[in-house]
Amino acid sequence: MSGRPAGGVEHPEQLRSYFKMEWAPLTLVTVSGLLYNAGLTAGPYFEGQMAQRLFDILKGARAPASMAPLAGMYLLTILVVQAMRSVKRFYVRRFANDTARAMRRMLYNSLVHKSRAQLRRESVGAVMTRAVSDVDACAEGMRKFTTEVFDTGVALAAYLTMLFVYDWRLALLSCMFTPAAYLIASHLKTTVTRYGAAYKKSAGELSDATLDRVAGALTYRVYGREPDRDRAYEARLSDYERKAAAANLWENTMQPIYNFISLAGVVPLIWLGAKNVLGTGWKTWDIAAFTTFLACFIKLAAKSSSAAKLFNAVQRAQVSWSRIRPFMQPYEEPDTATELDFAHPGTLRVSHLSFAYPGGPEILRDVSFAVRPGEIAGVTGPVASGKSTLGRVFLCESPYRGNVRIGERELSSLSEYERSRLVSYLGHQPELMSDTLAENIRLGKSGDIAPYLRAACLEREAAEMPDGADTFAGSGGIRLSGGQQARTALCRTLYNAGAVLVLDDPFSAVDRGTARELLQNLRELSKDRAVLLISHRLELFPLLDQVLWMENGSCTASTHGELLEKNPAYARLFRAQEGGAERETKN
Amino acid sequence: MRGFSARRREALSVKRKTESLASVVKETVSEHRTLTAGLIALIAGAVTLGLLPPLVLERIVDRLTAGKQAEGRAALLYFGLLAASGLFEAGQNVAITVFGQKITHGLRSAMCGKLRRLPAAYFTGHESGSVTSRFVNDVDTVDTLFTEGIVGMFADGCRVIGLLTVIFVKSAGLGLLLLASLPLLFWMTRAFQQKMLRAQLQNREAVARAANHVPETIRNIRMIRSFYRQSYMEERYDGYIQEGYRATEKSNFCDSVYSPIVIFVSSCIVAAVMVFAAAGGGLFRMSVGAAVAVTAYVAKVFGPLESIGMEIQNIQSAAAGVRRIDEFLREEEREEPDPALTAEKLLADSPARVEFQQVEFGYGTDHPVLRDLTFTAQPGETVILTGRTGAGKSTAFRLLLGLYAPSGGRVTVCGADAAAIPDGEKRKLFGVVPQDFRLVPGTVGDQISLFDPAVGPEQIRRAAELAGLHESILALPRGYDTPAARELFSQGQLQLLAIARAVAADPPILLLDEITANLDSGTERRVLRALELASRDRTVLSISHRACVPAPGVRLIAVGSRQSDFC
Repeated sequence: MSGRPAGGVEHPEQLRSYFKMEWAPLTLVTVSGLLYNAGLTAGPYFEGQMAQRLFDILKGARAPASMAPLAGMYLLTILVVQAMRSVKRFYVRRFANDTARAMRRMLYNSLVHKSRAQLRRESVGAVMTRAVSDVDACAEGMRKFTTEVFDTGVALAAYLTMLFVYDWRLALLSCMFTPAAYLIASHLKTTVTRYGAAYKKSAGELSDATLDRVAGALTYRVYGREPDRDRAYEARLSDYERKAAAANLWENTMQPIYNFISLAGVVPLIWLGAKNVLGTGWKTWDIAAFTTFLACFIKLAAKSSSAAKLFNAVQRAQVSWSRIRPFMQPYEEPDTATELDFAHPGTLRVSHLSFAYPGGPEILRDVSFAVRPGEIAGVTGPVASGKSTLGRVFLCESPYRGNVRIGERELSSLSEYERSRLVSYLGHQPELMSDTLAENIRLGKSGDIAPYLRAACLEREAAEMPDGADTFAGSGGIRLSGGQQARTALCRTLYNAGAVLVLDDPFSAVDRGTARELLQNLRELSKDRAVLLISHRLELFPLLDQVLWMENGSCTASTHGELLEKNPAYARLFRAQEGGAERETKN
Repeated sequence: MRGFSARRREALSVKRKTESLASVVKETVSEHRTLTAGLIALIAGAVTLGLLPPLVLERIVDRLTAGKQAEGRAALLYFGLLAASGLFEAGQNVAITVFGQKITHGLRSAMCGKLRRLPAAYFTGHESGSVTSRFVNDVDTVDTLFTEGIVGMFADGCRVIGLLTVIFVKSAGLGLLLLASLPLLFWMTRAFQQKMLRAQLQNREAVARAANHVPETIRNIRMIRSFYRQSYMEERYDGYIQEGYRATEKSNFCDSVYSPIVIFVSSCIVAAVMVFAAAGGGLFRMSVGAAVAVTAYVAKVFGPLESIGMEIQNIQSAAAGVRRIDEFLREEEREEPDPALTAEKLLADSPARVEFQQVEFGYGTDHPVLRDLTFTAQPGETVILTGRTGAGKSTAFRLLLGLYAPSGGRVTVCGADAAAIPDGEKRKLFGVVPQDFRLVPGTVGDQISLFDPAVGPEQIRRAAELAGLHESILALPRGYDTPAARELFSQGQLQLLAIARAVAADPPILLLDEITANLDSGTERRVLRALELASRDRTVLSISHRACVPAPGVRLIAVGSRQSDFC
């Protein structure tokens, strides 16, 4: 049961599936659990027999040496029973461990296949708590449930049988209090659940507050707000303390009370049992029968009180499960089937493209242009002209109207895999991971990154880092400067580049000289690629093969020279920046 | 010229009180004396009451062997004692829970207080997910450590001692047998402990990494999907949980075999007692009733011993968490700002001038980021920092914000060392518009005030008006009291919120970092307009990475050194 399973859990939204998946450890648990619990009565039985034998020996009815074989039998039985117990314990834990792992995998699979828009609706802290603590609580609940099925269910049956064999009337009489304990336990379970849920909720809030306090520490510091936030955090802590105490109170204190009720049967037992021994009761008992019966009864009472524990464990698992379940979806397998020839993708042709976000106004209107492999097209326009939206259309996060074709294939008809191979998008956020610089570029692929580091003008800086490109970049790349982060993201896009490159403002955080160098490198790497370069910095646009001028969602496909002549808005924008450049060089 | 940091270090040579888990616990215990006393009383009651029932049983059995009927009184007493010890145990459990909560509360408070004293470098060097995990997961294990560890162990220890005493009185031979076998059991327990500690440590680390992977996935989801790296991300996650799985498996094995071994040993002792008692040896001479009682006692000794085994596991698993919490509490602290500096005093003594004098700074030791940076921003002046990527423009800002102290030269605001200005005064001196706006949990108004009681509704409104956000905020369901959520605002509106936040306390200095770099929406014009309004009558320091057209009276300062600013 180790290693990564081929797929996911079938019907992950049903708890039953996880039991089914774990049939092998559960079978072992069942066999060892049955044997162990059946053997549980052996302890009291042999201890009673030994007390009786001692009585006989002290009376002189038996030889002292007759104790040894009996004691040997006793030990042998206990050894087998406890061996069974350790098997049961281990496999029931493995079952929980497997289940937690499977649930985490399913949760993560569903998470990583959600779109950005869907994830934005989730609170990060809440998802985190769900993924980590709920899975543990749920698997733990399932483990306890499985454990208690044997430790309570089977053991109860075994003890009861024993009692009925010795004296059925006395058994009935002494056990009549137990159902009352059950009744109360089942009545109180809603209360237990309610307090448990309030506690969980407070825990989630505390976790969110902690994440905010830590992640926002520097923001709060710069504004001198740390003392206020600490006070707010303190209030969260007090709330959590109260709810945790209440939930634990309900969960832990009920058991001794159930135990108390179940134990009441011991009074008639001792009274009437003594009569049995003295020969004036319903049955004729010896001392062995009396002590065995009493020991079994006390163990029975203790067991039946843990029936409440069973309810609680199941309740807690249900609370956790109810919050995990909405995220449990059929496992999504990677689908890399394709008939496309990625080596010869063909020209990018956009025709009559219109686009609006769901429920929003139209942002792109009848956009048409074509970019051949080896060409770099600059996209620019005034603020809110739709240039970034044009770039994001290629992600196919929302449907578009019109056509976006790469070669003969319509973009929207491609699978996500095919699209990822054909189109490489670079957005505003660097979206780096807590890993090394190199791994942030490779993303699991193998191959030499040096040419791409050079292309992204990162080579020198990477070499100066403590471990070169294998230097840890920090969480979200935080150990890199803003400019380094942006160029790492660019480098990643170049390394994983498909036939069409869509780069939204890749030069925003670099100076003019670096931008020029980057463009040159980009051209060399894109001899067979169509590149869309979205930018509001025009200084490099004279070097581009064509320029797409966006205005109010419409697009004019042209060249720098032509636009400079015919489009006054473009000309104005270009000249203003050119002036700035001159002044910059003077400084 | 010596920097602020060197001079302060001498002034602060007096050792500050270092907190540790132990000191927090000590404080909690002394703060809640009644609870502690009650807890001890409950444990004592539960232990004593637990000792009595077998004695009653002995009497009953001895009467039976003598052919006499059990007394009704004895039966009732037996039940009463069983019931009372159960109730005391319940009370003990409640008290332990409450006690554990008090400790975790105190610990989290102490850790939260520590955050404030940590240097800025700590936050850039540590993932917020794993720091959060110290607060959440590691402190939870400390709770387990107390409730199901130390306190439980104390109670069980008392129980064992009580039982041993009674057993010695009943049968010296059995007492000796037990005393002989206990060290053996203890040795075995230690062996298990050490094995489990290693596994637990591995597991916790894997759990923290897995926990950090989830928010990271959420943040980077667009990149992941567009490169079709879902499987890659799953494999990484799998790697983390697999590590945890293997470690858990190891500790589960120890956990599974420990208790059965202990029970078997206890049975061996019972068997030995019976054989010796049958042989009639002096030390083992006893009545049948005593034999029954003693059997019950032996089972009772190993019960708490078995729990101690479990408690040891809990303590072991918490040990890793405790170590990390202590490490966190021992983290080197930042130099305390000078409480005598107040914004009022500074502004009264000097105009809103910002000065860099031959500033040198590097994050590590090897790569200085800033070298000999000197410039002054005069009151009311706008200065733009330009320079090659990685030249240290953002670093200059961090020095100015007092997040780091320069290693050479001085960075002063109104004549005072930037790093010496208390946090609480900073907002009255400067506002910061960072690259990314950080949304805080709270209302829309809180985004602007940042929970500052000194920034009232009137100031919030004025700041929003200046940023051109007032109308958009009023259009929200509950206006300024609407709970803030990311999707309420466009990228541009977040920039406007950042501007409103920066000017809310009406500081004389404004710091702008890369203001339009990420902006590509219809509000850019509004952002520029808001910036213009915000800059009016203020000393403005701005970072620009691109060519810009400086307005008349605006100065460009080139920041640059040959080194990169990898930090």
